[in-house]
Amino acid sequence: MKKQIPLLITFVAGMVMLVQYFIPHRPFSEVYRLFNQWYLVVAVFAMILGIGNLIKIHSVRLRRRGSGWQYSIVLLCSLGVMGVAGLGWGIERGGFFDYLYWNMYYPLSSTMFALLAFFVASASYRAFRARTAEATLLLASAILVMLGRVPLGNYLWDRLPLLGDWIMSYPNMAGQRAIMIGIALGVVSTSLRIILGIERTYLAGR
Amino acid sequence: MDGVGRSLVRYWRSALPLVIVLWSVSGAASGATTPDTVTPEPPSPPSNVAAEDRSNDAGGSVVISWTKSADDGGGKESVVEYLVLRSTSLAGEFQQIGSVRSGVAQFVDQNSIDGTPYFYMVRASDGVSLSLPEVSEAASSSAQWFHTGRTNILVAGALLSFLVLLFIRKAKRGEELYIRPIAGLEAVDEAVGRATEMGKPIMYVPGIMDMDDIQTIASMIILGRVARKAAEYETALLVPTSRSLVMSAAQETVKEAYLDAGRPDAFDADRIRYLTDDQFGYAAGVDGLMLREVPGAIFYMGAFYAESLILAETGHSTGAIQIAGTAMPSQLPFFVTACDYTLIGEELFAASAYLSKEPLLLGSLKGQDWGKAISIAILVGGVILVSFGMSKIVEWLTTR
Amino acid sequence: MSTNPGVWVAVIMTIGIFSFLYKDNPLYKFCEHLFVGISLGYYVALYWNNGVIPKLYIPLFRQHNYFYLIPGFLGILYFSRFVRKYAYLSRWPMAFVLGAGSGLSIPAILQARIIAQMRGTMSDTFTVSYVVMVIGVLATLSYFFFSREHKGFLKIASGIGIVYIMVGFGATFGYTVMARVSLLIGRAQFLLRDWLGIID
Repeated sequence: MKKQIPLLITFVAGMVMLVQYFIPHRPFSEVYRLFNQWYLVVAVFAMILGIGNLIKIHSVRLRRRGSGWQYSIVLLCSLGVMGVAGLGWGIERGGFFDYLYWNMYYPLSSTMFALLAFFVASASYRAFRARTAEATLLLASAILVMLGRVPLGNYLWDRLPLLGDWIMSYPNMAGQRAIMIGIALGVVSTSLRIILGIERTYLAGR
Repeated sequence: MDGVGRSLVRYWRSALPLVIVLWSVSGAASGATTPDTVTPEPPSPPSNVAAEDRSNDAGGSVVISWTKSADDGGGKESVVEYLVLRSTSLAGEFQQIGSVRSGVAQFVDQNSIDGTPYFYMVRASDGVSLSLPEVSEAASSSAQWFHTGRTNILVAGALLSFLVLLFIRKAKRGEELYIRPIAGLEAVDEAVGRATEMGKPIMYVPGIMDMDDIQTIASMIILGRVARKAAEYETALLVPTSRSLVMSAAQETVKEAYLDAGRPDAFDADRIRYLTDDQFGYAAGVDGLMLREVPGAIFYMGAFYAESLILAETGHSTGAIQIAGTAMPSQLPFFVTACDYTLIGEELFAASAYLSKEPLLLGSLKGQDWGKAISIAILVGGVILVSFGMSKIVEWLTTR
Repeated sequence: MSTNPGVWVAVIMTIGIFSFLYKDNPLYKFCEHLFVGISLGYYVALYWNNGVIPKLYIPLFRQHNYFYLIPGFLGILYFSRFVRKYAYLSRWPMAFVLGAGSGLSIPAILQARIIAQMRGTMSDTFTVSYVVMVIGVLATLSYFFFSREHKGFLKIASGIGIVYIMVGFGATFGYTVMARVSLLIGRAQFLLRDWLGIID
């Protein structure tokens, strides 16, 4: 019995969400909005657990003076300060939370994002050295498209931007379309298995 | 149409006095002033005002359409806007419910009460005076039980489900099913083995989306199989997650796997930890973990966004063997360049069948293949038909 | 050189993350832990202010809409894992999320990734490019056949498919390079302009 109820919940929830796509009539028109709200509530409760787990791991490390315990202080303090600022004083512009957001969170986030420029370069260099047929194809196509988007490409050959666009619109599009169709088939198959309880290893054990 | 026209004419003859009264009343209500001085002629009225329930909705909406006034885009070109009014009876007071600018010949009343018949009146306005009104027949809104515009999806879904379930059933009855080699999955054993030999842990990155995303669910299934091998070889398994729900699911999955392998005591729940929901915060945290724990094998399975290359490149710099799998087409190129093996799109969903060789799962894979075969057939057929000018199939493939 | 303390803090954050490129170092470790903590605090505040308050607290406690007790109950079930006797109940909210997520995805993905893609591949203008595209879609699809050994015709078709896949991946790669470089330029501009005041 204990193992059956979760499978039943999965089945009912799955069928309701599946069916609501085709039925505009009430109450099905409200179901999608309801799901989003319920999911949010569950996710928030789960987050409490997740944060608790994180705090526990770092407090233990702090207490036991495990490796990197000083940084655990940093993490716990920053979590505390940011969280309390946002919960206690709100997230509107001009507040302390907002100040922390723009002067700490934003530079950290955008710099991480900017690291990609370097990683793209290192990845390309390795692809260049790989010397397999596939890597060469990938690199050649990448260079053509990239050059097509910068003034240098236009300078080298005035048809290059057109070639780059053509590669994006035809061979690239073709591959993407087929990959997407394959993915969709895989998603539908997996979803069916979940809803019907054929795939259940993590939910109720074997 | 003829019958409607005749009945409209009959209606007007008998109701003309009432109409004149209504006209002056509605003219005052909508704020259009009739100055004392000689005014230019009012614009021609719109015609063929028709109202009907908006289809495929939850009710409460009526679509009113008409033929534009002769003075809209032609004639006197004086029309500025159309006013739409409504009443529950022909004899009742018509109240304005909205307006549209000239050139537009449709309006949606989104505040109707289902089942209540309404009459809609449309009048052309040149900013100064209004045309004669044109009134529709009675119409009421209702909610539909089936969205007819989505029939094609229902058919596709039913067909695909039938195929998948058919082959699952066949597999249950013992039919032998073949699966072609997938390099990334053949390498799982090798990866776990390598990490064990070097005495280094395995890291499993399940993506940054939550448990309602199928890619994450597929990732959990694969995690179960990788965890089973890790348990058998007694290799440490690290799973940093970006969502708390994923952390719980991963903990359950890995615990079950260790139980199955007969090593329940070796399970360490703290190695499966939640970092942060934030995309780049997670990337920074995982990067730090990679540099400090120095894993021998890294798996990236699930939904990733721009942080994919940050993770994969950092992982590469640690010397670990990397196997990735994702159904995000935009991130596949980066995994392909930075990882040793990549599962492309559908291969991620085939992984569970591949690693377990369970007949039921192999059966569903065969159903997917049939889905592909039918897609190819429809594509070829459609391409041929459309090139001969028969575009009915394109209509069938359009969803409203 | 800027005198705004906020700018200096942002500079330390920026340089700290960039230092990662050299190797793991105390400044990066500091910024990394700070980032995890701050981003988590940010999401907590965000979910509270934009999620819990308007979508749970107000309907339940201000509008007295007791229907909202159901998701609240589901959420609390999640904590039952701490009580051994009732730990199995914590699977219920997960089952709900899994089932609903799966059910939602089926029609959505059928529409966007199969029906729309097939429609997009059909066109009435017969050009060489169009033929290239159609062949590509068919060949790449054949690469994904799992239940058949790739021999003979299927081998040739899937080989062509791999060519298309690699060309496509390269194109996506090349397409995003400039976007990534412009991100880097953005950070460089911050350092050179807002902090050092070298450029304007």
